[in-house]
Amino acid sequence: MYYSPLTRLHFERTECAGTLAGPPARRGSAGSPAQGTWVQFDVRTAPEGAREVVAAARFLAYGCPHVIAVADWIARAAIGREAKALLPLTVHQLREQFDIPIEKLGRLLIVEDAWIAAISAPC
Amino acid sequence: MANPCAGIAMRESVRAAPAYFDYAASTPVDARVAARMAECLTAEGEFGNPGSDHDYGAAAAARVARARVQVAASVGALPDEIIFTSGATEANNLALFGLANYYAAAGRHIVTVRTEHKAVLDPCRELERRGWRVTYLVPDRNGLLDCAQVAAALQPDTVLVSVMHVNNEIGVIQDLAAIAGVCAEHGAVRLHVDAAQSMGKQPLDFDSLGIDLLSLSAHKAYGPKGVGALVVSRKRGVQLQALQFGGGQERNLRSGTVPTHQVVGMGAAFELAAALREEEVKRIAALRERLWQGIGALAGVLRNGSAQHSVAHVLNVSFEGVEGESLLAAVRATIAVSTGSACTSATGEPSYVLRALGRDERLAESSLRFSLGRFSTAEDVDVAIATVIAAVTRLRRIGGWSARSAGA
Repeated sequence: MYYSPLTRLHFERTECAGTLAGPPARRGSAGSPAQGTWVQFDVRTAPEGAREVVAAARFLAYGCPHVIAVADWIARAAIGREAKALLPLTVHQLREQFDIPIEKLGRLLIVEDAWIAAISAPC
Repeated sequence: MANPCAGIAMRESVRAAPAYFDYAASTPVDARVAARMAECLTAEGEFGNPGSDHDYGAAAAARVARARVQVAASVGALPDEIIFTSGATEANNLALFGLANYYAAAGRHIVTVRTEHKAVLDPCRELERRGWRVTYLVPDRNGLLDCAQVAAALQPDTVLVSVMHVNNEIGVIQDLAAIAGVCAEHGAVRLHVDAAQSMGKQPLDFDSLGIDLLSLSAHKAYGPKGVGALVVSRKRGVQLQALQFGGGQERNLRSGTVPTHQVVGMGAAFELAAALREEEVKRIAALRERLWQGIGALAGVLRNGSAQHSVAHVLNVSFEGVEGESLLAAVRATIAVSTGSACTSATGEPSYVLRALGRDERLAESSLRFSLGRFSTAEDVDVAIATVIAAVTRLRRIGGWSARSAGA
């Protein structure tokens, strides 16, 4: 299986794996290990002017290197962005950026579902 | 422990390469074997067509004849019983289709095992499409077949039982003597054995076991790729229908110029493997035990296949809480292993061998097959232990395994 340099970077050097400790955070997950892919995001938001922005994010992921790498990238890229139920990039843009095979699109959708579930969860 | 092949270190010139733990997939050609092969390639050597009626051809034919003796001696067969092929896959195809076609009028039922190599299972599927019936036996959770299962599966029109000697994924050894006994009691049933993984690992006596057809591969035993053999019992009067036609070589069963350097390599490799077997098995068994003790120290590690009835060089383990593709990706820079999973696409196809043993899909997918060999060292094993422990621990942390397994 080919992995792009970006995939290898985020798979081999995951910086945001784990859970958020301390003040309350939003938590959401999607998929299941039994199905081969499971992702959970913890997201802490903070007011910034009139907006609510992502102050910290962590993830847990059971899945292939692409799933782990994309989850790590999202947790890093979301910091400072408005806390909306949208990824910083669409799954199609992520697939292109990470050079992920089209047959793995379903796994990226699980990552997206986990992010939306976390952002939408009560704090 | 002493390595009998010290001084022939495989990775001397490629020290930075991952440690090799995939000897069950293929082995490097032993330098002693390569030297024999090189003698049959250039103008100064025996390059002639072994079928040609001149001195060059005769010299090549003499080398082929010598190789035939070497291969036959290593499995307890007669030289005339050796049919050189392009490998074990071709040998399996020739055995299955050749026998099924020849004995089609006598019966159209075949018995085999779910854990066979695809080179047996796929021809069986094709024979089913052509009108034969195939019974696929399920081994026990250790991968072992009970000969009573074979006996129960035989039908009046059964013409063939095909069972592998050593399983390529989990290394378990089937009781060929017992299975051959069942076939003999049934009379007309022929026994084919895929022994691609056996040479140099497990003794095998074709004649005394009463095997009818035996498939062999050179590149699993430090010989070259692209050559193998089907041993066809003359004593037991086994007949096959040829699958390819041309020059009538190999007793009209496998037309095509015999590749002198390839079969010479196979002969040399098999002779060497038989000579080194006892010493190598002892050394490699100790290395495998060291590997298992190291990796088995992790929680949630399961050994696949019978530990008691297995060859020394294969260790197949499943890791709870780790996704298979990520595990392979995490270790590949340091060690070269096979995953028990073919799950590198979204369709996902965990090892059918491990599934047949009753492992669930996730455990079947999260398995690694370590296969050690002639050039494996204790240093390699220690690298593998450290690599696997680090990778599994990290991936479990990323996957929250301990949290979930604790009920969180």
